[in-house]
Amino acid sequence: MSIKKNVYLGFLIALAFVFSYIEFLVPISVGIPGAKLGLANLVILISLYTMSYKDAFVLSLIRIVLVGFTFSNMASMLYSIAGAVLSFIVMVIAKKTNFLSITGVSVLGGIFHNVGQIIMAVWVLKTPSLVFYYLPLLIVIGCLSGTVIGVLGSIVTKRIQKVAKFY
Amino acid sequence: MNKQKKISIFIIVAIIIVAALIGFNYNHDKGKTLFTASFLDVFDTKTDIVGYSDSKQEFSQQVEKIKEKLVYYNNLYDIYNDYDNINNIKTINDNAGIKPVKVDTQIINLLKYCKDIYQKTDKQVNVAMGSVLSIWHDYREEGSENPDNAKLPPMEELMEASKHTNIDDIIIDEANSTVYLKDPEMSLDVGSIGKGYAVQRVVEYAKEIGITDMLISVGGNVCAIGQKDDGSKWRLGIQNPDLESEETYSKKVEIKDACIVTSGDYQRYYTVDNVKYCHIIDPDTLMPANYFSSVSIITKDSGLADALSTSVYNMPFEEGLEFINNFDGVEAMWIFEDGSIKYSDNFEQYVVE
Amino acid sequence: MKKSKRNDIILIIVILIVALVFYIGFNYYNSINTKEPVTVVKVGDEVYGTFPLDKDVVEKIELSDGSYNILEIHNGKADITEASCPDGICVNHRAISKQNETIVCLPNKVVVEIHNGQKNDVDTITN
Repeated sequence: MSIKKNVYLGFLIALAFVFSYIEFLVPISVGIPGAKLGLANLVILISLYTMSYKDAFVLSLIRIVLVGFTFSNMASMLYSIAGAVLSFIVMVIAKKTNFLSITGVSVLGGIFHNVGQIIMAVWVLKTPSLVFYYLPLLIVIGCLSGTVIGVLGSIVTKRIQKVAKFY
Repeated sequence: MNKQKKISIFIIVAIIIVAALIGFNYNHDKGKTLFTASFLDVFDTKTDIVGYSDSKQEFSQQVEKIKEKLVYYNNLYDIYNDYDNINNIKTINDNAGIKPVKVDTQIINLLKYCKDIYQKTDKQVNVAMGSVLSIWHDYREEGSENPDNAKLPPMEELMEASKHTNIDDIIIDEANSTVYLKDPEMSLDVGSIGKGYAVQRVVEYAKEIGITDMLISVGGNVCAIGQKDDGSKWRLGIQNPDLESEETYSKKVEIKDACIVTSGDYQRYYTVDNVKYCHIIDPDTLMPANYFSSVSIITKDSGLADALSTSVYNMPFEEGLEFINNFDGVEAMWIFEDGSIKYSDNFEQYVVE
Repeated sequence: MKKSKRNDIILIIVILIVALVFYIGFNYYNSINTKEPVTVVKVGDEVYGTFPLDKDVVEKIELSDGSYNILEIHNGKADITEASCPDGICVNHRAISKQNETIVCLPNKVVVEIHNGQKNDVDTITN
């Protein structure tokens, strides 16, 4: 079981890494630092529904560190960590309430990923006005990408859950 | 497995903490804000300071320190005013032919530099020309206040004054830290060089106290310390001498760790019979030169830039170009009365757009 | 499952409304807080007065010793058109409208500055 789980974890990391690479190659820029579709979040979402929270969290951090060192710099890695941690916590809470389906959880995750990045930016750049300026747009973008990822995620998760659960 | 998992989690957390720390510092360095300050207290002109700092408070402290230094040099190099408990250039002038005056080492250093520059510029920059310059100064003040009655100083008067401009009559006694003017009729006027020299000293002081990116402009006598916080160079406009024109700047230049000084006829001048007479006096003709509207010099040392801009302003273009080429790392730009522009061999590397 | 799907849709709608409220609120906040370009006149270190650049005005800046400068704002530009000072440098100076541009009258210690003006693409000027 544990070997299977490790293989699965490795597979998800690789997948997240590839998704990040794709986004790095084809950036969908909306003129806001840090805002992107977040394909890699699909992997995190799947892991959340197929693995233990602990393992999913580890996966999330490994992805950021790997991608941070490979494709971006320390500064944007800092933003990514803030976004990922906040988004992860919110998704776990949302999932535990059983109030939302995977799509709703993904939407919240997408939004709070952006919110986390903004909070970090405000803290680092000391410009609180940034919040008001970017937040509405980031919420909409997060909502949009969250929905897309959520729908994709629910399809994939259903299939994986048929095969195995890794916790 | 459990132990391994714990170790791997520990490693990951450690990596993240280190990355976060590095990331924070990275941002910290790049997160400086641009501040500006200006004051009118020194060298009879406006001083502008532009710099990057972490906080307004830190910047204000830096500005205060720089201002203090500028005031110190201003008081020492003043030829018009007395200050309590300070022997300055005016004190030396007042005691010409009377007695040596004990002065601050910074005055000794300046005057030694002036003598050096006098040789290097082939006698074009002479700080012992106070007697001639003060005549022009008085006529210019008269003429500005009373434009209908503006007069040129009589040549005989200027010729007479020019007999008392021998720079060798400045007796510097370094051992006793005194300066004595042998000729009672002579006086010092460090206007062409004192400001630039002082700015250079202040720039060196600023570097000593850890300032790494700042622009200090004392009346357009601009010195760039380092470059801008984002890694780009400082961008400066060279004033368009044609003040009626829509274009504020004739050219824009980008510099780092360098100084630029412009000498021109469009600010301080007076008019006699519809002819402009500016404040820069040619030591050979004893008259204001009128070859150009302005001359800008870029080089590392502000004192040298100040001295060279004055001397080049007083020379015809070809002569000035040859003169500039004798100096290493000095570039010049001439703006002629008709608005046309000429560069020394490598000036264009600084010009943008 | 069906219920949670419905909840998803409610969630998305609520979020979009929140974003819209933020957006409208921010624009409103911005519209009442937009900094207009102004001319700030200083005498020595004291602020003498602030004049919006978009309103044509002629202001005589009178000093306690009887000297004066006349500030004229016209077509979004500030200029000194007349002054009691002997050197006339301030009068000769061109009209200013860009951020950080200044007109200085040294004899009167008067400084005319532009705040919140159009971005200036140079850091300073040499003259």
